[in-house]
Amino acid sequence: MLDFFAKLDRRWIFLLMFLAVAIPILFQVRFPETPTPLAKAVFDAIENLPDGSKILLPFDFDPASEGELGPMATAFVVHCAEKHHKMYFIALWPVGPQMIQDEIQKVIKEDFPNLVYGVDYVNLGFKPGNEGVIKVIATDLRQLYTTDDKGTNVDRIPMMHGIRSVQDFDLVVNVSAGYPGTKEWVQYAATPYKIKLVAGCTGVQAPLLYPYIPDQLPGLLGAIKGAAEYEKLVVERYHLESNPKYLEGRRRMGPQLVAHLLMISLIVAGNVILFAQRRREKRR
Amino acid sequence: MKQTVPLLVTAAGGFALIVAFFIPATQSWGEVAAIWFDILAAIAFILGGGNLVANHLKKISDHAAGWAYSAITLAAFFVTLAAGLFKIGSAPNEQQEFYGQRFAPLSLEQFPLTYTVEGKLPEMPFRRRLPDSVAGQLAADRQAGTITFHGWMNAGQRADLKGYQDVLAWQATVERLYEKAQPPEALRGKAFFHADHLALAFTGHMREADRQILLALADTSPWLKAVDALYDSTGKVASVKVEEPPRRDFHPETITPDVAYDCKQHVLEIVGPMSISLRDRLARQFPVAKPLSSARQSRMLERLSRLGPLSEKQEEAFHKSAAIIWNAEQLVVELNLAGEPAVVPKSAREMLAEKLAGVEVIEPTKIVGQSQSLNQEQIALIGRFAQSEMSADELVSSLKQAGPFSPRQASALRTFLDKQPTAAARDKELAFALLRAGPLNQEQQDELLGPYRRQIRWRRAVGKLFVAAHCVKFPWAGEYSTQGTMFWWLYEYAFKPLTATMFAMLAFYVASAAFRAFRAKNLEAVLLLGTAFIILLGRTFAGVYLTAWLPESLSFLRIDRITITIMQWFNTPGNRAIMIGIALGIASMSLKVLLAVDRSYLGGGED
Repeated sequence: MLDFFAKLDRRWIFLLMFLAVAIPILFQVRFPETPTPLAKAVFDAIENLPDGSKILLPFDFDPASEGELGPMATAFVVHCAEKHHKMYFIALWPVGPQMIQDEIQKVIKEDFPNLVYGVDYVNLGFKPGNEGVIKVIATDLRQLYTTDDKGTNVDRIPMMHGIRSVQDFDLVVNVSAGYPGTKEWVQYAATPYKIKLVAGCTGVQAPLLYPYIPDQLPGLLGAIKGAAEYEKLVVERYHLESNPKYLEGRRRMGPQLVAHLLMISLIVAGNVILFAQRRREKRR
Repeated sequence: MKQTVPLLVTAAGGFALIVAFFIPATQSWGEVAAIWFDILAAIAFILGGGNLVANHLKKISDHAAGWAYSAITLAAFFVTLAAGLFKIGSAPNEQQEFYGQRFAPLSLEQFPLTYTVEGKLPEMPFRRRLPDSVAGQLAADRQAGTITFHGWMNAGQRADLKGYQDVLAWQATVERLYEKAQPPEALRGKAFFHADHLALAFTGHMREADRQILLALADTSPWLKAVDALYDSTGKVASVKVEEPPRRDFHPETITPDVAYDCKQHVLEIVGPMSISLRDRLARQFPVAKPLSSARQSRMLERLSRLGPLSEKQEEAFHKSAAIIWNAEQLVVELNLAGEPAVVPKSAREMLAEKLAGVEVIEPTKIVGQSQSLNQEQIALIGRFAQSEMSADELVSSLKQAGPFSPRQASALRTFLDKQPTAAARDKELAFALLRAGPLNQEQQDELLGPYRRQIRWRRAVGKLFVAAHCVKFPWAGEYSTQGTMFWWLYEYAFKPLTATMFAMLAFYVASAAFRAFRAKNLEAVLLLGTAFIILLGRTFAGVYLTAWLPESLSFLRIDRITITIMQWFNTPGNRAIMIGIALGIASMSLKVLLAVDRSYLGGGED
């Protein structure tokens, strides 16, 4: 028996992981969320701004991390739209514009058709150069962004009037999956120019960003857990409970919980086998 | 030389960035260096592509292990590149197509007309350039004190010029120049000159009288040629076959004389291009839905019941859905609001005149018109309109006869009605409401959905005519990634699922590794395991659930609290220490690179 488990075919583990993720999805398992101070800080940063404030939304992620970051991106957009904030989308990742387009389609076009492109929101698209882009636009946005993603001259976009650099925005809300991302926004924009920044990031990034909290980064959403907490705050404030796309973070927490429990069980099982094998060897 | 130049470039760029950070006056140096960096980063994409092709071609040519994967990679790379570069499946950009207009080539040099007004170009600090949209068309004669505009000015150019300097005198000059630099009165809103597209344009069908007015403006050969080309182009006829007109007495000539309908051949035709507003007007030929009174609702239900049975639930759903529609009171409020005086911005000339007259506080807006509410007779007319078959045109003429009715109110009336669903669309909604509550037989469905089907067919025919009458101007101006393009398909159905799958597979490998490798072999490993357990539980509801029973005095032992403590008290200081160490290392390493002490990044090692 011990030998069977010690030499367990890894495909059994794959099957267990598959079931751990699939069953909660199929049965729509949901658990309550209690927002942490960091999620509340992100919510307050957007909520406490006067209606119609200018918010820069760099969406620095790709489809690979959409599972983790998509729900928080959706929640950010719906929160800004509910608050009538002006949304300026940019991307430092090549597929960022597609992620922006997805959110615009999913949230703004479907649920806020009254918002006008160029007046209430604009997609400035992708620029290569990583932190080099942040460094330039922190002092002069028009050096790099002369047109929006569709090629329209920024001078012809009403909401771009009066925007000269990132310093003209009331808040930067970054969704980050790695490099370039929140760390670069902290180092090249938020810290040198005292720009207010909040962010949402993947689970592996979160520990690396904690050192910037709270002065350089007042609020941070860590992975799907942070998204679910923030989503809860937004949904309750604006009564969006009936729309499933704004409950996606909480839905994805179901599989995460079961998968985490499986991981703990596997670690425990692995160690039990280890100790059992050691004891057997000692007896011999 | 081979190494000296890169060394100098690195040193210059690096020192410029350092100096720009500490000395505000040199901030622009840093920007220039960073922009060059961004340009090089963009070029790196091309080099990266070249490198990918070279490596995989070599692998294929050597028949190295996994060469077939290389072939797939290359095929995917080239297909995606072609789909994006050639914009396969991408429709022309709507903003660039100037729907309703036809173009004839005419460059700015060939445009024969210039317009001059008295005025001075403002003195701008730092030699600020004129807006790009007018840069080639505006000239100033400082000695004569005049400003000349070459071509016809559009509203965008006027806005750009007014924004050039926020001074009333300059803005008043721009307004005078704008009024002067326009086509003849009879052709305003019809004839345009697009200097950036090198084209003379005309909206709709150019008639002989229009042509003569344009020809009379100049006698240069390119001008005459362009006008004649436009005349020929806008005279072309486009037609489509129509299954069924919107109604029997349909006469599109009442909308515009350029559209005609042949009721025998069932052909709808138009002379010249069709504008979007004309398309929308033609498409809106079905009557707007009017509020359904209880009697009308009962009649409709009776008719439906004769065709087949309706359950109580369906009848309830019918009444509920029928109630969601506009009412006469809403329209009255809308028209009364439109009758209120309008607040409009003052022109720069008006404000300048006030300033010269000594007005101290100049208001930027003024009130135009007088308050004009609907009288009782007009309100009664609107009530009748809501309950009868009266058309919008008949209502407007009746309202005018019954009392004062301003053009703004007439426009508000049309806007209000345009926003309302048609009777056919309302019946469709009713059908869906009934279907949600129970079944409908085919006859009942036909009764409710028949008009909507006719409306769809008609709108499709109008859409086809719109496309047939349009002449594509910039076929490659569309977006490569818009929905429906080949690039979009590749992204949405290949790239997106593949990358998401790659990331999701991590969960399986991590689970397998957790079982095999995460062993408590020593004290450090035990600490790591304990921390992992707490974090894994603390990042889910399980952490809260398992330790929620602990009293408030021991709440610091709850797993979710411990998670936060670990992150704040152990992770943060540890990471800060590492980051400070890395930063110091980067600073010393950077200095070595900038001073050319460390040249390892150049490769080689000798020299």
